[in-house]
Amino acid sequence: MVEPILFVLMSMAALAGAVTVVAARNPVYSAMGLLGTLFSVAVLYVLQLAHLVAAVQVIVYAGAVLTLFLFVIMLIGVDKEEHWEEPLRYQRSFVAGMAGVVVLMAAGLTFFTDFDWVPAAVGGTDPSRTIGTVQAIAEPMFTDWVLAFEATALLLTIAAAGAIALAHYRRRPH
Amino acid sequence: MSWEVDYLAIAPELIIIGSLFLVLGLDLTLPRLKKYWTATAAVAGSALALIPLAFLAVEGETISMFDGSYVVDEFALVLKGLFLVTAYIVFLMSVNYIESERYYQGEYYLLLLASVLGSLVLASARDLIVLFIGIELVTGPLYLLAGWRKGDVKSNEASLKYFILGVLSTAILLYGMSVLYGLTGEITFSGLAEATAAMPNSPALTMAVLFLIVGFGFKISAVPFHFWAPDTYEGAPTPITAYLSVNSKAAGFVAMLLVMYLALPGVSDVWAPALWALAALSMTIGNLSALRQTNIVRLLAYSSIAQAGFMLVPFAAAAVAGADLEEAFSATVIYLVIYAVMNLGAFGVVIAGARTTKSGEISDWAGLSNVDSRAAVLVAVFFFSLAGIPPLAGWFAKFVMFRSVMIAGGAATVVLAVVAAVNAVIALYYYAKVVKSVWLDDATREFPGEFDEPPAGSLRLALAISVGLTVVVGFFPALATFVADASRVIAAGG
Repeated sequence: MVEPILFVLMSMAALAGAVTVVAARNPVYSAMGLLGTLFSVAVLYVLQLAHLVAAVQVIVYAGAVLTLFLFVIMLIGVDKEEHWEEPLRYQRSFVAGMAGVVVLMAAGLTFFTDFDWVPAAVGGTDPSRTIGTVQAIAEPMFTDWVLAFEATALLLTIAAAGAIALAHYRRRPH
Repeated sequence: MSWEVDYLAIAPELIIIGSLFLVLGLDLTLPRLKKYWTATAAVAGSALALIPLAFLAVEGETISMFDGSYVVDEFALVLKGLFLVTAYIVFLMSVNYIESERYYQGEYYLLLLASVLGSLVLASARDLIVLFIGIELVTGPLYLLAGWRKGDVKSNEASLKYFILGVLSTAILLYGMSVLYGLTGEITFSGLAEATAAMPNSPALTMAVLFLIVGFGFKISAVPFHFWAPDTYEGAPTPITAYLSVNSKAAGFVAMLLVMYLALPGVSDVWAPALWALAALSMTIGNLSALRQTNIVRLLAYSSIAQAGFMLVPFAAAAVAGADLEEAFSATVIYLVIYAVMNLGAFGVVIAGARTTKSGEISDWAGLSNVDSRAAVLVAVFFFSLAGIPPLAGWFAKFVMFRSVMIAGGAATVVLAVVAAVNAVIALYYYAKVVKSVWLDDATREFPGEFDEPPAGSLRLALAISVGLTVVVGFFPALATFVADASRVIAAGG
């Protein structure tokens, strides 16, 4: 019974965050809304027993990407005036109409046909029967694909080294 | 399933990794004026890595590791030899170029060594994941190195263009690979070969194969995926341009041939016409564009696009005609090896000559023979070799290419052979134009650069190796057929 309740709660939180991203006037609030959405989706991943994806979601998106967003917002300036003139005048009503159609279609599919959104879960809630746990992904990664894994590690190292070398500005030639 | 790792078999890779870490440590600890030791470490590493290759070649065994996804056979050894020798020459060309222009040295060699490591991994890759990571390890550092002349707008443009188009092509390549995996559930080349031969031809399979060709087409800069090449070649530091046009192009070819030949022989009716069109377009458009170039590096860029077309000819012709791919495979590998040596030499002589002319415009090179006769001789050697004039090595590459087309036979093949023959003549015109400018034209101005003292020892050594190989292979093509025999091993099951 925990699963449906958590699902409804987290879906609503994700939607609320998404609406905040678009609706908030202050870009920092938008970023915070995005953070809420990302965390809620991470919980949904845990519900689906995709533990590694959930962890990656929190570390990479909530941790790194969002921090980057905040940096950019701070660099540009939080209190900058925004122009509210729209280059495409009817885009908001158009998007609202599209969203309405999509919701109606989904509702129709769910309630009036026997459309199967998600095939019946195979693993249930038994963690040992899924392939999404950290262990289940780590094992092939460090056995079958250890070569590719190590090479990828090197790729990331050189990306970091190269990015610093390119971005570093030497003030005067020696 | 065995997890035994044969350390002799991966010794070249280990040595390159070792020198990579040595460069990293030296760069951290040495004072600024002693940074040239990082260059020494890189040069020594690429030379030392050839030693275990020789041992492995003498043993001649096929060693399969990591459940068959990493194979060291004679074919892989020949390509690793090619990659290491060309990397050695590029390192030698880099030493003074990088030092005199005051670029970051440690990071330069670190990135270039990582790229070399990628090409070594690529030569042994026998599944899609290792192959993909190998390709990315080759090209990833080059995006950065193309922009190494940071103050120069052209270099920034070179890096950015290469990066954006490279990432796009990588995404397409990866998409093709994932569709292929989704359709077959196989990731190794042997598994893919069985699965694709057994399954009926579907639009999804065709799309996956075409996506792979688009992705590889960017890496080898074949027309119509060549737009990044001239600008990137012109803006990048010249040793990096040489590396791009030789190692990175060869790596793209190796990846493409491995996938088509080992993983997708069952769907050759999809990729053969595509390769045929790539070959014809690359030769024609590459050569016609090269005719109009006034900058020597851009001329070499278009010439390398055209040469990629020539390299595709044997494989495309044999596949279209349904002939045995084995002969075509070795012809392409021979062409690749000879092209690598002479093209490196051509870029080496551009670096050497630019010391005197301080310009990339061909008209500014007029009369170079009066002040620097040695550079002028080398210009003649490498450009005539690229044109395919005997007794320089280029003639044998062209000869092998046409021979394999004749073996294949068939109407479409003959059309391709005629296109190649016409293009060989066009190419001769613009290669000869450079030689004429250097030897016959009168200098229109005073040469601004120095020409009293010879170029640095490392550059002279790089040129000596290239010119030696170009001349010796031209007189004794039997040396190159050894390469062909080795590349036939792969036909026996890889």
